Amino acid sequence: MLEVESILGALDMLFSSPLPWLIVIPGLLIGLVFGAIPGLQISMAMAVFLPITLYLDFMLAMLFLTAIFTGGAFGGSIPAILMNIPGTSSAIATTFDGYPMSRRGEHNIALGVALGASCIGVILGYAILFLLISPISEFVLKVGPAEMTAIALWGVTVIGALSSERLLKGVISGLAGLLIATIGFSEAGVARGTFGSAYLVDGIPVIPAMIGMFAASELFRLVGLKYLVAEDAARRVSIRQVFAGFRRSLARPWTVLRGSLIGVFVGAVPGVGSSVANLLSYTAAKRSAEDPDSFGQGNSEGVIASESANSTAEAGSIATLLALGIPGGAATAVMLGAFAMHNITGGPQFIREETDVVYAIIIANFGQAVLLIGLGLLVVPLLAHVVKVPMGYLVPSVLVLVTFGSFGLTGDLTGPITVLVFSMIGWAFRRYGYSVPAAVVGLLLGNMTESSLIYSYQISGGQWSYLLERPIAVLILGLLFTSLLGKRVIGLLLRKAGA
Amino acid sequence: MMSKPAESRTRITGDLIVLVLLAAFIVFYCVDTILASRDILNLILVLPLSVAAFALCFAQFLIGLRESRARSPAGGQRQPRPADAPELAGQDQEASLANIARVVGLFAAYVLTLPWLGFDVGTCLFLGAFLRIHGERRLFRLISYSVGFGFLMAFFFSRMLPYPMPMLLLGAA
Repeated sequence: MLEVESILGALDMLFSSPLPWLIVIPGLLIGLVFGAIPGLQISMAMAVFLPITLYLDFMLAMLFLTAIFTGGAFGGSIPAILMNIPGTSSAIATTFDGYPMSRRGEHNIALGVALGASCIGVILGYAILFLLISPISEFVLKVGPAEMTAIALWGVTVIGALSSERLLKGVISGLAGLLIATIGFSEAGVARGTFGSAYLVDGIPVIPAMIGMFAASELFRLVGLKYLVAEDAARRVSIRQVFAGFRRSLARPWTVLRGSLIGVFVGAVPGVGSSVANLLSYTAAKRSAEDPDSFGQGNSEGVIASESANSTAEAGSIATLLALGIPGGAATAVMLGAFAMHNITGGPQFIREETDVVYAIIIANFGQAVLLIGLGLLVVPLLAHVVKVPMGYLVPSVLVLVTFGSFGLTGDLTGPITVLVFSMIGWAFRRYGYSVPAAVVGLLLGNMTESSLIYSYQISGGQWSYLLERPIAVLILGLLFTSLLGKRVIGLLLRKAGA
Repeated sequence: MMSKPAESRTRITGDLIVLVLLAAFIVFYCVDTILASRDILNLILVLPLSVAAFALCFAQFLIGLRESRARSPAGGQRQPRPADAPELAGQDQEASLANIARVVGLFAAYVLTLPWLGFDVGTCLFLGAFLRIHGERRLFRLISYSVGFGFLMAFFFSRMLPYPMPMLLLGAA
């Protein structure tokens, strides 16, 4: 239920001085820059600037950190569209159609679409959170390890089936990603698949592996080109087209709303979050489209679906943080650090006692989305100039950038070496029709899948009947098999009926 | 330039090699995991996934063999483009295998020599070599971009990151 008194208190906190809004603008810019540079993560930006928040009161600290989060969620789409490099793991699905749009010379439109979908997504996501924070927290409590295992397996197999021309190759890619992610020390306390190397004991560094598979492997393919966009005229940077793209996202309210709903609820599940939300939203958009074959070829609806979900997943993960005190991912874990620095514990008691602060954070995010529209429209045309850089300069510069960024992620040369190895794997996958996105999602979710499966086993005492007590898990597994085999089974039945 | 049938054969062979390597990795990893510990906590995900992935690799291998037979001239069919690689026609125009091998080699040399050359000098040399190989003949532009961008990145990241980076010149400064 909405509490009018708390809402009025929140509005008073936000509008009695300009300070909250002065803090939001640098936060958004920091997020945009960190999101747009491959290798620099939103969580890294938040961690770097976390000490500053010690000198702010709790609400201002949260506004600053959520502004970095909001800016970063959109910033990740910029390299995804212009260079096929998801700046963050939540922008994977944005590459599917954003990058083909860029190659066609529609980079301005694609960036505008991403900006529009992100901003509207943030507004819708927080609106949903504003109305449904209690039911969302109840939903999260119902999602146990069995459901999380099912969600992870569903995400990997569905994206494998969708992003590869061959179902088998797509699913093999996803399973290989899941297996690679489990390399290193297991829950049983033994090392697996390390080849005796101490560097692999902690497992494969996932983000450098993702950068290698997505970015570096794509750059290898592009070395023979003069420019990213072949035609001279198409390389133009046009603010008018960015606006046109922005308007295009407004013309697809259903896609944005569906992405936002998926984003909030999947984003609220700890450990799954925006990495899966954007893929599920993309899948849903493709399945319900009149022309599903145009997805992956540069259909702007694919960008809208992905961006609306990943920006809304932020609201979902913040719901879990506020309502349960559980961080959904790295970025919200840093926010939890801010909670600790201010001696605040998230959870039902926090929501009950500090309702006005909760509403202030939610309302401030509406303002952040509006400010992001302005900042994005200023920054995006500048960044779109990337398409004018000759590939002879762009390819080595981006390779250098990912090398530095991957070193930043691991703190030693494991990061750059991982990028190198996985760039070659990614190139082979692309060349022979395997699914790079499925392998990457497998890499991202592998550890979580194994931990969830182990918890399920421990809770159930090894009894399969436990699954019957988890209807959501059964439903998700049913969806998994339907999405993999449904079309084929129906086709087979129809053929038999015809014969 | 390879003829189309030769190119198709190379691609099919490459496809099968990648599949065999994937299957070999899956078998190695599964065996290594079992040898490490037979505890159910160790095998709970890896064993079923490995079995499923290996079975799918085997199925894909059989499909690949059947398709390669159907595509061979003896099979009496024309040689279509592999259906699982829709973008390959364009890809070959974008970068030849030799060109890709050069870039991969250069990138590998850059990454593997970082402990000795440092991020500053290593990056400048990598950029300079890459630009030179890819046709940049204007010496001033080549040197100024390599040195300027290389040192700018090294300086920016060495200030941004909380851990020491290997540097040859900037570290001594």
